[in-house]
Amino acid sequence: MSENLAKMLVELDEQGVLDEVEAALNRGKDPMSIVEGLRQGMAEVGRRFEEKEYFLSELIMSAEIFKEAIAEIEPHLKPEEGNSRGVIVLGTVKGDLHDIGKNIVAALLRCEGYEVRDLGVDVPPDKFISTIKETGASLLALSGLLTLAFDSMKETVDVLKKAGMRDEVKVIIGGGPVNEQVVEYSGADAFGSDAAQAVKLANGYLGG
Amino acid sequence: MAYMTATERLEAAIRIGKPDRVPVVPIYDFFSSRYGGITQREMFFDIKKADLALEKTISDLGPIDGQHLSYAGIGRIMEIIFPQPPIMPGVNGVPEDAQFQFVEKSMIGREDYARLKDRNSILWLLDTLKIRHPQLRNPIGLAKAIATIGIDTLKMRRSRMGWLKKGVETTVGYNIPFTPLEWISICLRSFNDFVLDLFRYPDEVKAAAKALMMPMKMQGLLMVKLSGLKRVFMGGARTSASCISPKQFEEFALPEWQEMAEYFVGKGITPFLHLDSDWTAFYPYLKSLPVRKCVLNLDGTSDIFKAKEILGDHFCIMGDVPATMLKLGEPDEVDEYCRRLIKEIGADGGFILSSGCTLPIDAKPENVKVMLASVHRYGKYPIHA
Repeated sequence: MSENLAKMLVELDEQGVLDEVEAALNRGKDPMSIVEGLRQGMAEVGRRFEEKEYFLSELIMSAEIFKEAIAEIEPHLKPEEGNSRGVIVLGTVKGDLHDIGKNIVAALLRCEGYEVRDLGVDVPPDKFISTIKETGASLLALSGLLTLAFDSMKETVDVLKKAGMRDEVKVIIGGGPVNEQVVEYSGADAFGSDAAQAVKLANGYLGG
Repeated sequence: MAYMTATERLEAAIRIGKPDRVPVVPIYDFFSSRYGGITQREMFFDIKKADLALEKTISDLGPIDGQHLSYAGIGRIMEIIFPQPPIMPGVNGVPEDAQFQFVEKSMIGREDYARLKDRNSILWLLDTLKIRHPQLRNPIGLAKAIATIGIDTLKMRRSRMGWLKKGVETTVGYNIPFTPLEWISICLRSFNDFVLDLFRYPDEVKAAAKALMMPMKMQGLLMVKLSGLKRVFMGGARTSASCISPKQFEEFALPEWQEMAEYFVGKGITPFLHLDSDWTAFYPYLKSLPVRKCVLNLDGTSDIFKAKEILGDHFCIMGDVPATMLKLGEPDEVDEYCRRLIKEIGADGGFILSSGCTLPIDAKPENVKVMLASVHRYGKYPIHA
């Protein structure tokens, strides 16, 4: 069943996935094993994206189907089964309003089982820091498309340092013009050149 | 080779020929306004101040052959023509010197695709504008909006003629139109909703895009008429390989790119295909656009060297000093990159050196200076860079 579900997800068969999830739940199938099937599908979509067999639109559609399926399954999960693999604080930095990339990264990280605190766009450094304190997150993901965002990324990392939290929190950055030069400039730990790479980085840092 | 004017130089390059040297056309307004000491609001709403700022920038950093997109003086027009609210400096509490941006937001629902198809598309476009601009709902407001567009366009045209007298050509006047799908995904639906629509309601999207084709062509013709230039911008980003699959490009987007480009070329107008994001995987498709009649303008994300390999005989290529390099790089790095562009892409002609999309507002002036100087240092034909 999980293989079939994974296959339908990879083929972006939205209705097929939702019907199958509903049928499985009605048959009394263990909800966590259904989630596992969906995750297998997402992993395969991610692999195809990396191999350039799939493109961004397919990533977005698969994440949407995953989200809908999880919404069906969630009421059937026991409280402890809903536990996340860790908390990630994410947002587009101060002065920048672009959110396409950020939203895709957030969706994929959620598919991976992380709890994502998405702070939206134009997020000032203090807001990132207070949310990290509140959630105990150990990964901060910063997004930006404008070159002005590089300064805000740097400022955010500097504030994190001043708060004495830099050693406990890894910082990853991303967005159209972001490259190694920006990592160096901002003092972040790494950059993801696309959403799938951002997930890989998160898995690497959070032991996924 | 005999000396050419900026106009002759650009025209030779556009025809994939060899001018006296490689022309340089930075996409300058954001940068030159800040460098020239005015706010972004002043640049958008006061073209005289924008011209003075550009004059100072040219005087300090070196001559240019042309300007590309003109944001200068277009503030009032942009406030009217876009259905979704752009973030304009100095408007609605946005700081005077903030950078202009769009907000990603769906302005229409899925059900509007069918309405667009059924209603006359120009009236429908007007409907979408009225959502945001209540003043367009009555004839006086509409007349005022049209008058505003006319007056400001004349001011911009006067500015352009002034620059031409000073030896600076304008490549294209304004940064519209887009292909219908690009317009839908930038102005009407959010990107996320647009992508999901492609999977869920492909026929509705296609029908709506088809209905939008005529007004998009009209937009382009209007821009040509208003600017007095036989060149037109055609913007693309969301039908790039960064966003959709080759299958989707082939099915939804390519026919539109072909139809619009052929339409303008048929009218003797040169389309500037201003392609943001990564188009490398779609280069083979672009071969079906009119040969030697368009300019391929890349933003530093696509592989411009591969473009030369695959499309060098097909388009004049324009680009693409990356924004990150201009802000964070060192002059030596910029110099080396420009030298490589000139040598590998420009040596056979058909090349315009430019910034990858808009030159960043906060680029290092010394990097810009090096970029402009590179065409004099390496770009004289025959090229031995």
